[in-house]
Amino acid sequence: MNQENTVPKNIPEEVERFNIIFRIQHIIMFTTFLLLSFTGWGLKYAEVDVSSWWIRIWGGAEVAGLIHRIAGIGMLIDFAWHVLYLIYLFSTGKLKVRARTTLIPIWKDVEDVVQNFAYFLGLTRNKPRFCKFNYAQKFDYWAVFWGMFIIGSSGFALAFPILISYIVPEFTTGWIWQAISIMHSDEALLAIVFILFWHFYNEHLKPEVFPMSWVWITGKISTEELKHKHPLEYEILFPEDKPGKEGASDAK
Amino acid sequence: MKKTSTSISIMFALALLLAFCTTVQASSSSCLVCHNSMSGKIALESGQEIDLKVDGEKYQASVHGFMACTECHIRFGEDPHKSPAGTVPENIDELSKKIGHKARVDAVAYSACVNCHEGIYDMVLESPHGENIVSKNEMDAALCLDCHGSPHYIVTAENEGSRVNQWSIVETCGHCHGDKELTEKYNIETNVLTSYIESFHGKKHHLGHKGAPTCVNCHGAHDIKRKDDPSSPVFEANKKATCGKCHKGATDKFVAAITHKPVGPIPHYMEIGLILLTLSTFAFIISHVILEAFSDIRDALSKKKEARK
Repeated sequence: MNQENTVPKNIPEEVERFNIIFRIQHIIMFTTFLLLSFTGWGLKYAEVDVSSWWIRIWGGAEVAGLIHRIAGIGMLIDFAWHVLYLIYLFSTGKLKVRARTTLIPIWKDVEDVVQNFAYFLGLTRNKPRFCKFNYAQKFDYWAVFWGMFIIGSSGFALAFPILISYIVPEFTTGWIWQAISIMHSDEALLAIVFILFWHFYNEHLKPEVFPMSWVWITGKISTEELKHKHPLEYEILFPEDKPGKEGASDAK
Repeated sequence: MKKTSTSISIMFALALLLAFCTTVQASSSSCLVCHNSMSGKIALESGQEIDLKVDGEKYQASVHGFMACTECHIRFGEDPHKSPAGTVPENIDELSKKIGHKARVDAVAYSACVNCHEGIYDMVLESPHGENIVSKNEMDAALCLDCHGSPHYIVTAENEGSRVNQWSIVETCGHCHGDKELTEKYNIETNVLTSYIESFHGKKHHLGHKGAPTCVNCHGAHDIKRKDDPSSPVFEANKKATCGKCHKGATDKFVAAITHKPVGPIPHYMEIGLILLTLSTFAFIISHVILEAFSDIRDALSKKKEARK
């Protein structure tokens, strides 16, 4: 979208939003996610005729199963890497929890949802002013965590059922396996639907980002976009550009 | 059409031609000279209609293609005009009386399987399938031909044309075990076929996974037993060994995973919970995306209007 230039000249054109490690983690995450979705979908709806054809494309049921397992392990390792990396960043003080930059959901996110819906419906003329991560991005991020706990753990149990059977409590054996299968399959459907509608719309199909937001590959966000989409973060990064101050750009 | 008299149409010309052209090698050839080219059905005294045609080519391609017709159709001698008059061995005669009600055409021929397949025939007779035939005199319990199809065209189980082939056996077993009337009549589980199809095993099998088990891999075939029979491979105490054939090191808590049992209340309500979660997430996402898209359009239009002013 052609926005007029509102960022003062003394402010850099772009800033790093995701470092190389986060970008690699994201690439592994979506690659394995796609592989898991493609192969898992065929198994979930095996009785549909087109599934047999689909699975043949993936090299047959044996190969598709192998791809699914390898991708699943890859995703779990990626997730573990991410969590360990976060622990490292926080413990060394390289990352600090601050209200305007954190991914942790805060009360402001709830207010933002309400205000955004009010804006959509024309009840207010003011869009919510977002922090570094808006509620849509936090939703995206924590959905992966939820998916990892539900689908990742159940997937691990389904891939290594005998190993898991040693830690399954005796009284649950009558229903736990059915529960694990349901968890894996139903939540996978939720994850796919979520990614397809939420993530794809917000990061690909939205007119202002179409065909996609390039931040996943460059890691950089223009200060112009930052000011527009994440004003509260922009303000703490560049306190010199404040509305009302000399040289402020919102005037026009 | 349904006259008691026979309606046979014989293609005489072809039959004669065949008779003169082919050198008769085995007695089956001489029967087939006529039966290969016959069509139509003949009604027996019992009212049952039987097919007169035996497809010679298919027969000779079958596993029994090397055999002479009279090896099984013992009562029919070399001279068709004097048949049936052959002497039947005692053991076969006895067996034919036990299973005679299962045979549509020739009870002696149906019993003659035992000549070569004695061990297997005995297994079947001792199984619940055979028990229902012999002691309960049932017609609809499975015997050889119910699973293997016409005796004239039996091919090896590895052949994809076989009804007991890996890729057709589920349908073959399901023919009875998925039949509402039969499962109710014999008071056996009604959901075994559907629960298999919905299971991981069934899904993988449907997708062509060669390692995915079918009915017979767990339950056995000719020697099938009731699940509460201690000699059944799916008897509680034997499950570990049976599942362990594929799942090395299977434990008691693991084998509980493989069952035809319907979904219990805990997973059922959990599933409902997950479906509600999915629906509510979906409702939020869809309404958010649609409203946002409309507000974007609205903003773009009002911007245009302002620009024009």
